[in-house]
Amino acid sequence: MKNRLKVLRAERDWSQARVAQLLGVSRQTINAVETGKYDPSLPLAFALSRLFERSIEEIFEPNSE
Amino acid sequence: MKSEVESSSWRAGMPRRDWRNQWHLIGWIFAWMLSFVGASALLRFGWVGGSAGYLVALLPNLLGVATFWSFLRFLREADELQRKIRLEALGWGFGCGAVFMVGYQLLERAGFPPIDTADPLVVMSFAWAMATLVLTRRYS
Repeated sequence: MKNRLKVLRAERDWSQARVAQLLGVSRQTINAVETGKYDPSLPLAFALSRLFERSIEEIFEPNSE
Repeated sequence: MKSEVESSSWRAGMPRRDWRNQWHLIGWIFAWMLSFVGASALLRFGWVGGSAGYLVALLPNLLGVATFWSFLRFLREADELQRKIRLEALGWGFGCGAVFMVGYQLLERAGFPPIDTADPLVVMSFAWAMATLVLTRRYS
């Protein structure tokens, strides 16, 4: 799944570690989500949505078939 | 000065909860292993016997249950990616151990030397550890 996490982080000048800390997950999780290696759970997707004040659809985009 | 990410709720790139649970688990694993080695030595060399021998034989099992409980706690409370990695690694460990155990039974019937009943556990543990390392690298 594609996502705009890197851009959203850059807009706020936040590190992966900062985002991870704010959400209570590991930095590895944020890195894996950001690089598309891991699709987050629904609760984490909602938490990211709240953190960046964007809808889930604005952050994540499914891979085209 | 401590950075923001080194706050009390976070440590070494992971939530402090996971850090704590991971070290608790490692501690229990070592205690279990040590108690097993100790009990084996005591029983093998005949330093204890009778009812004391039964107690010595049972002690590692208590630590084994504590280790198992500690692992369950780690899984329940872990960060979601960690949980995925550990469960997948557990699947690898169990699968490799089961295949080894069933496969070697047939090899034994074909003439291979018999093995100790604990040997599949070694294969299982090794596969679990290797899978944890590989999966951790994959998601890094």
